[in-house]
Amino acid sequence: MKSTTYSEKVLDHFRNPRNVGTLEGEDVSMGRVGNPVCGDLMEIYIRVKDNIITDIKFKTFGCGSAIATASMITELAKGKSIEEAEKITRGDVADELDGLPPIKMHCSNLAADALKAAIKNYREKGHQSEKEKRTLQKIIGIERFQDAGVYTKINDPQQLKDKRIIILDKGEESVSRACLLRELSPRVVFITPNKESLFNEEFKQKLHKARVKILYETEILELLGRKKIEKIKVHDLNEDEVYELFADAIIL
Amino acid sequence: MIYFDYQSSKPVDPRVIESMLPYFDKKFGNPSSLHKIGDEATEILDHSRQAVAKFINAKPEEIIFTSGATESNNLALIGFALRNKHKGNHIIISEIEHISLHNIAKYLQKNGFEITRVPVDFYGQIDLDALKDSITDKTILVSINYANNEVGTIQEIAEIGNLCRERGIAFHTDAVAAESQIHINVEDNKIDLMTLSSNDIYGPKGVGVLYIKKGLRLNPIIIGGGQEFGLRSGTENIPGIVGMKTAAEIMEKEMDSEIATLKVYQKKLIQGVLDNIPDSYLNGHPEKRLANNVHFRFDGIEGESLLLALKDKDISVSTGSACSSKTLEPSHTLIALGLVHEEAHGSLQLTMGRFNKPEDIDTLLNLLPGVVKKLRGLSPLYKES
Repeated sequence: MKSTTYSEKVLDHFRNPRNVGTLEGEDVSMGRVGNPVCGDLMEIYIRVKDNIITDIKFKTFGCGSAIATASMITELAKGKSIEEAEKITRGDVADELDGLPPIKMHCSNLAADALKAAIKNYREKGHQSEKEKRTLQKIIGIERFQDAGVYTKINDPQQLKDKRIIILDKGEESVSRACLLRELSPRVVFITPNKESLFNEEFKQKLHKARVKILYETEILELLGRKKIEKIKVHDLNEDEVYELFADAIIL
Repeated sequence: MIYFDYQSSKPVDPRVIESMLPYFDKKFGNPSSLHKIGDEATEILDHSRQAVAKFINAKPEEIIFTSGATESNNLALIGFALRNKHKGNHIIISEIEHISLHNIAKYLQKNGFEITRVPVDFYGQIDLDALKDSITDKTILVSINYANNEVGTIQEIAEIGNLCRERGIAFHTDAVAAESQIHINVEDNKIDLMTLSSNDIYGPKGVGVLYIKKGLRLNPIIIGGGQEFGLRSGTENIPGIVGMKTAAEIMEKEMDSEIATLKVYQKKLIQGVLDNIPDSYLNGHPEKRLANNVHFRFDGIEGESLLLALKDKDISVSTGSACSSKTLEPSHTLIALGLVHEEAHGSLQLTMGRFNKPEDIDTLLNLLPGVVKKLRGLSPLYKES
């Protein structure tokens, strides 16, 4: 079976997703789960009154089955008690959709997990504290690639023309620098260890307007290459995943 | 149905089908037979070899018919590596080769060869300095695609050819994505080995060619009765080979006018999308790209859901998203350009061809902004600014 051969029911939920959106208020809890390998990210919002889920909404970045499973679970969970809703499994969601392609059963069937995360968030309410701002680890390879892709100051911006540039978050100056360099290069990536929700809104707007790509909750572990930088190894703190990003220059 | 996936598969041109038909039942001979009908088969095989040779400015004896591009790539790399390993065990490829070539290189790596993968820039062009730096005295072969099959970036083939010839290294290029869009001249570009596919010039599937420059030595990878100068055994697929011959003849005549039309479509698509869809980007090179290719990415949405939504509207497209691949890995080409996973997942590839009409472009440009907007409405990663 092809990974995109879906049942009519999946297609129906994909075409007409139910309960799309977000909820706001004191009585709202949210669960967010994601799998960057497959490219799915899901948020489920629940409003709980007297232990009953009275309203539920979702947002999904993902493939057809990711959207359909999220839509389906909002229908299954609405009106149920927290205890009943918690019992809904991945298998239940897939069954209600008349099945999913085998390859999608694991990675794009996150809706049950997202609902459980929202319920966990509901139970933990009042005990939350935002994660402390993380401090940067030492990056391996900085000495090795001095003059071969590592920059601390830029004497001649033209030497970075058309290069793929990585800029580390060092506050306002680094934001301005990223926006300026974006005029010389089609590819500037701004890397910050901060969560999106904690990142300065003004900086975010500025970078977005300049079309600088922002990677949140990310730290750089190592610089890789033969004679000059070719790739950087980065750590996605949210997913605790390490991956490689192709780049030519890094500005510290 | 509107078809924008010519890179995956092309319809066979009706004129090609017509030319093939007699060779299934009337002229069904085996070129190895010595009787009349066998002679007839030998004659058309020779003619076909001449036609394909002319198509790329090669000599007929430099053309080996195979079962397709994957086999040609296997013969080029494995056949050359095995025959020439006494000269060295180092092979250079790029980070953005077709998946078949990547996997052949991995196979050779497991069998004692050293592989260097040269990086590309954000537009998908080979870093020529890195290529120069990678060459050692053990390097026997460089294999770089003529143009990339996903983002359509065209490489500096003549420069790579020159560099390899100067250093006495064989140069192979997979020209499958380029063969319908560029008049290829193997002499001028100093190409030693080149992969072609029949389907990519509107011929039948199951036929391809490996061009092997005269004097180059390879081991066969399919052993048998010694057909194709001993390099590719097995009774020749005469109907398929005739189909490729006709396809090459038509392509040679019609390529210039086709490219002119495709360039108009391409320009209209790129402008139409970038002007009317916010936070959309063109992947690949703005100028040095194949005329039949456009490749976009859209912030906040995932390619498979975009593909499905267009499928509902009877439009066939392709994506570099992992969710539509067998391995659930995002496109290695898009990652090599420097894109992060979520960007590679949000990509849309449109490849056009001989049978597209101007209305196809208009229909897509009318529908796409709404489809992207709807999917972004579902996405937690996109907030309208």
